[in-house]
Amino acid sequence: MKGLARAFHSHRLALRLALLVLLLILPFILKESWVSLANEMLIMALAGCALNIMLGYTGMVSFGPAGLYAVGAYATAILLTRYHSSFIIALIGAPILAGIAGVIVGWFCVRRSATYFALLTLAFSQIIWTIIFEWYDFTGGDNGIVSIPIPEFFFTISHCYYFTLAVVGACVLLLWTIIQSPFGKTLQAIRENPGRTEFIAIPLKRYQLAAFVLSSVFLGVAGSLYCVFSGSVFPDYAHWVKSTDMLVICLLGGFYNFTGPIVGSFVYILLSKIIAKQTMFWMFFLGAIIVFLVLFMRNGIVGFLADKFSPVTDPAPGSGKDGGGR
Amino acid sequence: MTFEAAAGQALSGISVGMVLFLIAVGLSIIFGTLKVLNLAHGSIYMVGGFLCFGFTSALAQVPGAFWWTLILAPVVVALLGGVIEILLLRRIYSQDVLYQYILTFGLILMLGETCKFIWGVGYHTVSAPWPVNGKIPIWGLSFPVYNLFLIGCGIAVFLGLLALMRYTGLGRMIRAVTFNREMANALGINVPRVYTGVFMLGCWLAGLAGTLMPPMSVVALGSDMAVIIECFIIVVIGGLGSLPGAFLGAIILGLLTAFGIYIIPKLAVAFAFLLMIVVLVIRPWGLMGKPE
Repeated sequence: MKGLARAFHSHRLALRLALLVLLLILPFILKESWVSLANEMLIMALAGCALNIMLGYTGMVSFGPAGLYAVGAYATAILLTRYHSSFIIALIGAPILAGIAGVIVGWFCVRRSATYFALLTLAFSQIIWTIIFEWYDFTGGDNGIVSIPIPEFFFTISHCYYFTLAVVGACVLLLWTIIQSPFGKTLQAIRENPGRTEFIAIPLKRYQLAAFVLSSVFLGVAGSLYCVFSGSVFPDYAHWVKSTDMLVICLLGGFYNFTGPIVGSFVYILLSKIIAKQTMFWMFFLGAIIVFLVLFMRNGIVGFLADKFSPVTDPAPGSGKDGGGR
Repeated sequence: MTFEAAAGQALSGISVGMVLFLIAVGLSIIFGTLKVLNLAHGSIYMVGGFLCFGFTSALAQVPGAFWWTLILAPVVVALLGGVIEILLLRRIYSQDVLYQYILTFGLILMLGETCKFIWGVGYHTVSAPWPVNGKIPIWGLSFPVYNLFLIGCGIAVFLGLLALMRYTGLGRMIRAVTFNREMANALGINVPRVYTGVFMLGCWLAGLAGTLMPPMSVVALGSDMAVIIECFIIVVIGGLGSLPGAFLGAIILGLLTAFGIYIIPKLAVAFAFLLMIVVLVIRPWGLMGKPE
């Protein structure tokens, strides 16, 4: 295991390049149905990373990410169908509107901590779902909005895939930069100890709101990408089941790793396609997987692997003597 | 709105509110003592509803089937709660709260799918039993007796719980554990057993609500999430962990929804959300809760 770990570590850059190349040539080596599955994985990876800003990095448990994701999807859909705006504007409008929704929802939610916060995010995402479901004249109610005028360019699945790859890649890099910035470090300080963070004169609520809005903006991007990918939007996007998907993606991959949700999204969507084909009661198995993860694999796949490889790949503070020789 | 219509709406609002109170108060005492937010509480209520249908149809030949069900179903639900607490929840008390939320979230899926597997996706109905069926005239208006029965049950449970907490040894034990777990443990109280007991009590209340509700509405999948959201609103309005808060919040929510349906049928739930937002802005810790 150690040898493997060392090999893995020393070839990290090479592995990353190989992954990038693999992602780039994917449409040439896979069937169309698998490319669209990969597309879905990328979008959910972005949604998972956006949620993880709150969940893993700030320690705010949100049960309503799907509401903001749906705001992004519906913003693009409605801008294109009702206002006939240009594609670029519809695309940029999604994160902006999701951000505005995030400011409003977040302002109420961060007023309370921990338990109430979780309750409120779930309640607000249900409000968004109710609005979408009941406001027939504007959102199409439970019929959703179909045949959205997406530019013909995206009808070819490989074009859509490259577009998604580019946007998701850019967003993930941006999120990574934000996490490494002093702002990101402050968020992590809030997660570790809110009380002490406040003592060193950091306005706690304001930072939590900022994390909420940041997360909303990127959830909006993910929603908008999904709208472009599928060409239709439905109230299901805001449903709590969708929030569960995102939570499980983060849990499966591991909260405390940046790559967690990305790995989680890959495994989860693959798994759901395989199990859902076998049984009608896929949700039962999903629930069982969640319970299993919480009881036995709390750090998710990436956390589990990082543990196995720990002295080599990720020297913990204080274990310098182990990692110093490299 | 005529006086008659208003009185009818108020009565049905309060009676629905009473059922919601039973669920919300279970959620609230479980949180107060165990510090666990049981997101699957709505699912436990739904299991109670399905059991009510299952038992009443299985016991259809027995006289007073509903009353036997009313005794049996909540007990079965409480036992289910006990199993969940001992097998699952107990293992994660020491962990970050995040994992409690996610574990109970997983339970929502498992319980929902199990109900779907056993009872299918259709609607089921249970009729109100003798002697609480039919209508009764009061002040020249006629009210369904079952609604009055529900209000009676709600008030009885409320008073019973207050008495339990205040005057019995068990209640003192629960309050001691709620107040300071380590100290209670040091004084010889079996804390894990109190936890299991309180969790089962909360589940019994949800099961009772699940058994009482079907004659007034239908048993169907999806009621778990609808109910848990309403309970969240109630505990945010009333204050989480407060008994009178849950009672007050439930009545307010019931009335608001009943009259809201009268004014704007589709967006009745919006009134409740609006009230919740107002409470959050003015009194973030709830009407009867204590400031943090």
